[in-house]
Amino acid sequence: MTDNITYAQPVRGHRRVERRLAARARTVAEAYALLAPSLAGFLLFLVAPIFGVAALSLFDWNLMGAPSFVGLDNYRELAADSEVWRAVLNTIYYVVLNIPAQTVLALLLALALNRRMRGGKVLRVVFVLPWMAMPVALGIIWSWVFDPRYGAVNQLLGMVGIDGPNWLTDPAWAMPVIASVNVWQYTGYTMLILLAGLQAIPHTLYEAAAIDGTTPVQRFFMITLPLLRPSLFFVLVTNTIGSFQIFDTVFVMTQGGPGGATDVLNFHIYQQGFQLFRSGYASALAMVLFALILLVTAAQFLYFRKRTVYDFS
Amino acid sequence: MSRKIALSAVAAAALLSLAACGGGGADDSDSTGGAVTLRYAMWDEVQKPPIEQSIREFEKAHPGIKVQIELNNWNDYWSKLQTQLAGRSAPDVFWDHVSYFPKFSKEGVLTDLAPLIAQDKVDTSIYDPKLAEGWKVDGKVYGLPKDWDTIGLFYSTKALKDAGLTPADLDGLTWNPADGGTFVKTLQKLTVDENGKRAGEPGFDPKKIKQYGLAMQAPTGQQDWWNFALQNGCKLQDKPWGRWTIDQPACVQAIQFVQDLRLKYHVAVPATVTNPPNGPSLDQVVGRGEAATAMDGSWMLRAFDTALPNGGFGVADLPAGPVGKGSVYNGLTEAVYAGTKHPKEAWELLKWLISERHQKAVAQAGAVWPGITSLNDVFADAWKAKGVDVTGFKKAAEGTTMGYPLTEAADVYNVKALDIFNQVWLGQLSPQDAAQKITTEANAAIK
Repeated sequence: MTDNITYAQPVRGHRRVERRLAARARTVAEAYALLAPSLAGFLLFLVAPIFGVAALSLFDWNLMGAPSFVGLDNYRELAADSEVWRAVLNTIYYVVLNIPAQTVLALLLALALNRRMRGGKVLRVVFVLPWMAMPVALGIIWSWVFDPRYGAVNQLLGMVGIDGPNWLTDPAWAMPVIASVNVWQYTGYTMLILLAGLQAIPHTLYEAAAIDGTTPVQRFFMITLPLLRPSLFFVLVTNTIGSFQIFDTVFVMTQGGPGGATDVLNFHIYQQGFQLFRSGYASALAMVLFALILLVTAAQFLYFRKRTVYDFS
Repeated sequence: MSRKIALSAVAAAALLSLAACGGGGADDSDSTGGAVTLRYAMWDEVQKPPIEQSIREFEKAHPGIKVQIELNNWNDYWSKLQTQLAGRSAPDVFWDHVSYFPKFSKEGVLTDLAPLIAQDKVDTSIYDPKLAEGWKVDGKVYGLPKDWDTIGLFYSTKALKDAGLTPADLDGLTWNPADGGTFVKTLQKLTVDENGKRAGEPGFDPKKIKQYGLAMQAPTGQQDWWNFALQNGCKLQDKPWGRWTIDQPACVQAIQFVQDLRLKYHVAVPATVTNPPNGPSLDQVVGRGEAATAMDGSWMLRAFDTALPNGGFGVADLPAGPVGKGSVYNGLTEAVYAGTKHPKEAWELLKWLISERHQKAVAQAGAVWPGITSLNDVFADAWKAKGVDVTGFKKAAEGTTMGYPLTEAADVYNVKALDIFNQVWLGQLSPQDAAQKITTEANAAIK
């Protein structure tokens, strides 16, 4: 068979194939050369540390003395560590508080700002502003706002006769407060991505649907939502990953307290690694967080893969 | 085409070498125009200005050395320092604390100063032996005394006057676990609600308190419950380097008393305001009139003087407990990093920091009681000139004292205590449960 094909190629064509192959090789080489800087950075600063952490999770090391190999001891210990399980549950609780609220709010905002209206562009900027601010600075400012005695929230509640709680020192309120601060901060960014997605949906689809006598609600569920899936997919995946990695707001506002109520995995890793100097154990915890995020992201990919349309034409 | 590839390869190589440079942060401090730059780390911003001023003089005397001060608050200081030690990029000279000293000396990150002391014939007999001895291990000297401190009762003169009290009324106060004693009675007089009613008076509303009698705040216990523990006969450990015994009744009672001051007697500022690390420092709390008095360390004098200037504050002794008087006593040292690239210059800086000239300048500024015994009067006189009698701190140091616990579990104790006791002060955890929890967790960290 192969012989036949080879013989069947005219000499000119043979050269053309060679040329095409050579050109392709050049293109590939060029692509790699262009990729090289970011690929090197990616391997050096993102992939290599993951292997480093994986290796470190098999050691007991206080950062100063010599590390000693302990096999899977760190993993055995964390499986039996109630604080770790609490941190996992706290993290999931935070994600559950954060992601739905943030996504629904951002979608509503995007739908509102997608209409032509006076001041729409200004509002867009206003909603994105919190996302551009530093989380640590915001955390400090929000701690003041939620201060039980002098904070704006309880002063306002006091005006309508409500005795506001001690937001950040009450175990029941601390996590919702942290989540609301982050919802406030990241909704604008999510809104921006969704707005871009909305604007990519062709108007003709709505016009045709309107002629067919559909209601606005029907159009939202049958056109907007399905065609917004690529954007929704993107924000859900990236925001979920980001939420699992929540650290700065917790660090500034509660330090994991009160009584571990906001001790999320990333803060627990920090505490074990940089306050108690158990870097092996902290690395094992980091691998747990990595696995958790990997699982959730994989599930999201599987769910969206079947249902997402990327081409509107 | 190939030229393009070559170009991008060069660009990639350039980027990589740039990236490689990024890691060498430790070298940044090396040399600027021939001068060596030393890094000097500390955690107290109240002390920084007079120290910095004296260091500028050191730089004038040593044209080849520049000193860069690195300031981080207590909570961040130890995380940062230990991470830097692990990364072999620690500051050349830094403040050391007795609770971290054991680990540091064991890991060999501190320079042994003994040969240098011998070589330069430094007279170490001028330091209080109580301070200097703790830093020697097997003939090696890992630090020289910077200062010492005890705890006192800082008060606002205005708040005292408004309550019809004089400073003399704060002398000889006593407390007990049963009814709080004269200490609580006095604090009640200093606690006022929004209608001007004082605690204990009929119609007093503990939910709307404008000024509390007392403010307390301590990440480890040093400025609050350890003192009551000592006055109640509690021992935090069975022996130095031993096991923690905070679950003993005398300790639990002391913890209970601090909780009672807030939740039962309503005379102490609520933990929602004061809990570390986010609460405002106590000079602020007293300065803005939220509390009449505060238990704090002698190193806070300058801060109180800023918040309540021109005779606005004074210092009284801590009350006596069932067992008697007592205060936590502690001192810091100046230490040299074993991995410093400039051991000679670092030793020069250390010699300056422990010199009479430097400690005198810092004492004159009223920053801290000096490590050099003969300079104690300089400090006391500096405050006397401002109308503040600080000799109570010295009397406390000469009386019954308790040092920081000597333990290898300092990291665990410090991290856990912060969280556990914050909950106790908020009323979310009982003193008994808290004592058991901290004892178990700190003991688990002892090998």
